[in-house]
Amino acid sequence: MSMNRRDFLRTSSLATLAVGAGARTRVALGNPDAATSDVLVFVYLRGGIDGLSLVAPVAGELRTQYEQARSATRIPATGANAALPLGSSGWGLHPRASGLHGLFQASRLAVVHAVGMLHEPVTRSHFEAQAFMEFGLNGQAGTQGWLTRHLISGGLPANVSIPSVSAGAITATSLLASTETITMANLQQFRLNTGPWNWNHSTQGTPAGALGFAEVLPQLWQGSDILERKGQQAHDALAIIRPIAGETYTPGNGAQYPSGTLGDQLQMLANLIKRQELGLRVATVDVGGWDTHNGQGNPTQSYDYFGNQVEPLSRALTAFYTDLNGSGAGNHAGRVSVVVMSEFGRRVLENDAGGTDHGYGNVALVMGGTVNGGVYGTFPGLGTNQLFERADVGVTTDYRQILSECLLRRLGNPYLGHVFPGLNSYTPLGLFSDATGLAPNWGGFDHLFDNGFEAA
Amino acid sequence: MSRPDSALLDLARRRLLGVLPGLFSDPTPPPMRRPGKPPVYAEAEQDPDLQPAAVTTPPALVRWLNRATFGTTPALLAEVNGLGGNDDARWQAWVDQQLNPAAINDPQVDARLTAASHPTLFKSLSELWTQHHAVTTDYGVRMRPITESECAKVVRAVYSRRQLYEVVVDFWHDHFSTFGWHYDGGPVFPHYDRDIIRAHALGNFRAMLGGVTRATTMMYFLDLRSNRRDGPNENYARELVELHTLGAENYAGVLRPDDPSLPSGQANDGVNVRLKYVDEDVYSATRAFTGWTIRDGHWQFPAENDGQFTFRPGWHDNYSKWFLNRFIQSYKGDDDGEIVLNTLAAHPGTATHVCRKLCRRLVGDNPPESLVQSAAQVFGQHWQAADQIARVIRHILLSSTFKAAFNQKMARPFTIAMAALRGLQADYTPVWDNTSNWTTTEEFISHLRATGHGPFYWPAPNGYPDRQEAWSSSGALAMTWKLLAHFTTMRQVRGDNQSPLVADIVAQTMTALPNAAQRTAGGIIDYWLGRLYGFQPEPARRAQLVDFLRQNAAADAPLDITTDAWANANNPSAFYTQSRLRYAVALILCAPDYFRR
Repeated sequence: MSMNRRDFLRTSSLATLAVGAGARTRVALGNPDAATSDVLVFVYLRGGIDGLSLVAPVAGELRTQYEQARSATRIPATGANAALPLGSSGWGLHPRASGLHGLFQASRLAVVHAVGMLHEPVTRSHFEAQAFMEFGLNGQAGTQGWLTRHLISGGLPANVSIPSVSAGAITATSLLASTETITMANLQQFRLNTGPWNWNHSTQGTPAGALGFAEVLPQLWQGSDILERKGQQAHDALAIIRPIAGETYTPGNGAQYPSGTLGDQLQMLANLIKRQELGLRVATVDVGGWDTHNGQGNPTQSYDYFGNQVEPLSRALTAFYTDLNGSGAGNHAGRVSVVVMSEFGRRVLENDAGGTDHGYGNVALVMGGTVNGGVYGTFPGLGTNQLFERADVGVTTDYRQILSECLLRRLGNPYLGHVFPGLNSYTPLGLFSDATGLAPNWGGFDHLFDNGFEAA
Repeated sequence: MSRPDSALLDLARRRLLGVLPGLFSDPTPPPMRRPGKPPVYAEAEQDPDLQPAAVTTPPALVRWLNRATFGTTPALLAEVNGLGGNDDARWQAWVDQQLNPAAINDPQVDARLTAASHPTLFKSLSELWTQHHAVTTDYGVRMRPITESECAKVVRAVYSRRQLYEVVVDFWHDHFSTFGWHYDGGPVFPHYDRDIIRAHALGNFRAMLGGVTRATTMMYFLDLRSNRRDGPNENYARELVELHTLGAENYAGVLRPDDPSLPSGQANDGVNVRLKYVDEDVYSATRAFTGWTIRDGHWQFPAENDGQFTFRPGWHDNYSKWFLNRFIQSYKGDDDGEIVLNTLAAHPGTATHVCRKLCRRLVGDNPPESLVQSAAQVFGQHWQAADQIARVIRHILLSSTFKAAFNQKMARPFTIAMAALRGLQADYTPVWDNTSNWTTTEEFISHLRATGHGPFYWPAPNGYPDRQEAWSSSGALAMTWKLLAHFTTMRQVRGDNQSPLVADIVAQTMTALPNAAQRTAGGIIDYWLGRLYGFQPEPARRAQLVDFLRQNAAADAPLDITTDAWANANNPSAFYTQSRLRYAVALILCAPDYFRR
């Protein structure tokens, strides 16, 4: 058998791995600032959340302008169902986001104003805007998501059981083309346990050495084209999950997740994060239902669609934090950052159907044990001449700045030029308690380390 | 103990064991991140190890039928083989038959979907409105129409003889996608499915567009019903242009409509039109459709409450509009909307966008631009013809590009599940249930949704993705395998072991191979490969399947498939042989060969 260059690299890198510390050294050659064990959970609110209802102005001229634009969707500033004040910032959280408000008061939640994409032309298409944000290619579609590029360049150890999970059946665009991501909607269901039990897989009761369906199937997917490579990934994922899929998980610290997909999926991630040996570093979660063109409701009405969306979001995120925020070795919150974003905000002036149409700048949330709670970013104003196209909240913070700060200060990846091609400046907002972090590296990432092995 | 000894299987196992040390004891699974893992997309084309999989190209008719139906079957192949003297002639005859679905009788579907078994499918919009949309106290009754539409979709995909029609209907439901379980859209969904999508699926695109715009389900899903002069709602107008007609590929973003960078050209109606749209066009279309609504008991018109479309002149913005560089005069009333729809239906961007999607569905993920353009020509030239869509489908299906294509696409989860039920000759009619029992149908739909591809279950208006990169995720693939294996033990009444299996693989094998001597591992596998694939795959694949089924028996030794009993560890070939046979068929269904299109 002739050995091609790649086989050689594979063999040599495996040989290196065998000596343990050596592998670390070699990986470190690719990235001198080796990754931390931090986790980023990227929560995407699909449909464009109405940021002005999630975080509403409660004082001053902004409040006056807000009330002029919003009546059917208005969040009260005072009285029953009033917004929950974010300190003395003049802003308040939706009243049904009491859990998030508690995190803000504990200084574990940062609210960033007027976040979005600055490239032109601006798009008001959900699907373009989501793709542009998640590819992170400055207004283009591509093949790799930004988190895929982070996993490649982030200096993770050479062997990690589950570095990345995309919660759902279909992989989030931000993790597209990742070779190491498990896409999984439900941990307990993620196993091939249908069909007759006695040839499902080899167990103590089956003939010694005989392989069952779940073990033979991977042998049918050993080809080298893309479909079969993807099949191999799915089989790897099933093999890793199978030993833990059947285990019962009890959330820590009395955390109570709300019923529903979001709560289930955050709970699944907390479970994986706590099993530190699995090495989870990156996860994506999707939350739909934010495209409120019609009947958005408000907290003073019995019909409060938006509030019905916000409450489980807040409860699930809060339960996730609580679950991770144990003491001593049980404290994982200090290494987990949650970033919540949406493709765009909604029009300042509500429509006559009690809803809001597609807008531009939007609020983003950052939550975690090392987050400096507070209100960040520059709100560009609600005056007609301050609005984008005289209609929408403008954008003053490029969403990539928030993600870059997380990369540099939490995830230990300096290669901004690789993760976000076209980004050429870095202005941290100070969202994390690690106030210095790495310096950005705008080039310098060697693609030969893509697959964790060194160039010949 | 004797183990399967094919050299290839050993090789495969060695590769597997390379990353799965100790598989036979306490398995340590391979890490997802590990050195030397081959890329799956971006750089894959530069990867020296990337090779086309060793796959047998199926015979022409199998290839073609697999993309134009929900899965080929021996009976269908036999039928098509009888239609002409060579494959091209047979194919053309079959396509022409299929493009006239009304002339094809469909006894299985008629018997399985009756007014007694699925009553809501037969109700008029007004009946759906009063008998389901008005029900606010019983969610099951309210949503029975969408639930029965979901059942009907499965029944038609599996049993209809109008296979091409069902494939095209599936395409349009993705193109004009609505979330079936929308609280207001779900109760009237059979109207949308039957009277709009199915009625126009092979007809005229402009007529379908008009029907979709007026459809009660769409009126709720994209909010057009609340679009008024004094309160415009742009949701429908935006998706109409971005998703249903011109496509995001023709969106120029937030630009002035007179920006000099924006090109113009001639539309298929002979009149000049701007080729790219900007947000101002979305707003003009929004204004053009003000007053298009439904009779939903609105407080101004409380007596009008039957769910039907209506135009309310008093809600319409009567002043002039510019749409894609075309002037719409003042006081044209509901003609405004018709002009917008005409402009879009005759727009070359619509022809290209729609035809590219059709080619992606029928040919491959990245269809050649030459076929897209020639199909768009047919689309544009016949934009007013009653059989416009049938002509476009015919053009694509008879093209040399379609015929030559193979393996440029994978079957999506719903499609492969339907193919499996067809191939297994399943006897199963899903039905609505409003009890607290966990029924066969509910379990089946739950498995289907876990793949990410439940019927009418995509939440956003852009419809299910149609590319391999979406459906080859670990989540979609793993849950598809899980569903396919479920078919081997699925019973007509869940939890009742006396209830017949939906597909009794063992009984079917015994019937097909009546003599015990025929029931060798090789004979059984060949029978099922022929039946499910319609061709013999690579010998190495066959060997893997045979080795699993035979275990320590010789490939040409008959297996006793009449019992399903324990055997001692030294004789795995006698260990629960019927169960192993079911899984051998599941392996055929779950192999990559079955996914390639």
